[in-house]
Amino acid sequence: MNRTIIILLLLISTQVFSQTDWVKWGKANYSYAVPGNNNQRDYSLSENDVGDLLLKSFADAYWVFFSDVDGDNCSFSPTCSSFLLMSVRRTNFIQGTLMFFDRFTRDMDIYKKYDHYPRVEDGHYYDPPSLYTLDTKEIKYLPPSEVVNK
Amino acid sequence: MKNIISFLILFSVIINAQTIKNTPDLFSPGSIKSFADYLFCQHDYLRAIEEYKRYLGDARSDTVEFKIGEAYAKMGYYSEAAKTYSDIQSQSSIGKYARLNYLKSLFQTNDFKLYRSSFNKLNLTEDTTYYREALSLYNFSFLLSAKDLPGEDLFLKPFTGSDREKLSEFYKYKSGLPHKSPVAAAIFSAIIPGAGKFYTEDYADGVVAFIATAALSYIAYTDFRADHKFRAWLFTGLAAGFYAGNIYGSAASAQLFNVKIDFDFVQNLKSYLEKVNYFVPIINFCR
Repeated sequence: MNRTIIILLLLISTQVFSQTDWVKWGKANYSYAVPGNNNQRDYSLSENDVGDLLLKSFADAYWVFFSDVDGDNCSFSPTCSSFLLMSVRRTNFIQGTLMFFDRFTRDMDIYKKYDHYPRVEDGHYYDPPSLYTLDTKEIKYLPPSEVVNK
Repeated sequence: MKNIISFLILFSVIINAQTIKNTPDLFSPGSIKSFADYLFCQHDYLRAIEEYKRYLGDARSDTVEFKIGEAYAKMGYYSEAAKTYSDIQSQSSIGKYARLNYLKSLFQTNDFKLYRSSFNKLNLTEDTTYYREALSLYNFSFLLSAKDLPGEDLFLKPFTGSDREKLSEFYKYKSGLPHKSPVAAAIFSAIIPGAGKFYTEDYADGVVAFIATAALSYIAYTDFRADHKFRAWLFTGLAAGFYAGNIYGSAASAQLFNVKIDFDFVQNLKSYLEKVNYFVPIINFCR
């Protein structure tokens, strides 16, 4: 009797849950692309300053042709290109460029990031230009344990 | 039977009914104070302050004012706490604690100049009961401010036992904070790319800076040798950028290192102060 019930249940479940011909097996449409953050970017150009216009054009071109295609792959916040823009605007072209090269060196360093920078809520390492202007008054130090709310 | 049960119910309702006579007066000063005390002990400080203030509308109590100050301090409103403590009569039984907590709250505002001037205005003498505690905070304030430290013996005068040992450690550390020189860091990186970052203990950054500069320089060199002018100058520019950026970055890294040292030191001092309750005796109102 028991055996009959078990066989019956197995048969029913096989019938109920079996794949019908109406649903074909096929390729799942998964995307492994890292979502870009281009909707948060400001692509507008400044009309007041020629230097800023040139730099912003360069950054915009980089964002359109590289960053937006590549996805959100920079581990820092702000990203290196935004860091360059912010640094030049905060200081001057030469100092901002030096700050950018230094940031790029830090970006290439894969070893110390885990315990060196505080994190932004979205997981990026918080590393603003204000820490590197050589003006100690501008440095607002945050320990790595801190989570920054942007 | 039914009648008996109904009768018993009615009877018990009448007997146990709350009469007007037995209803406690919820708005009497005693009830308000009891409720405020309950809120205070439940750490509901904001509502406790409201109730204490309502109580003080009908009565006067230095202890209640003290609790208001305590509640403000617990919430981090140190200026309000200091003002409340300062209103308490110094002759009252809790007066000396009020003075001490007044100084503690001033200290907690992190305005150490104000603390020191207020301390001096009180004209405390060694006979004052809380003189040693107040002086302890006074001396401690020098560790937290950039001002020059007093002599070690003078600094350690109010401290005894393990406090004295710990404070001596803090004093020595503050006297020679292990800061790094931004200029030295920049010079080191100018001589060997990445050396400045080693000096500021950013070892991995130093290695990366050295490899980046060396690799780009080598590529530029080989391109010059192969007469690939454009590539050669491109990589020369990149190598120069990384080289100069690293010199700059080493100086910035030294500054950041120093800020971190100061930050960690202040955190240590503050956690020690919390541990010893700012050298102020704890009054427990919630036993």
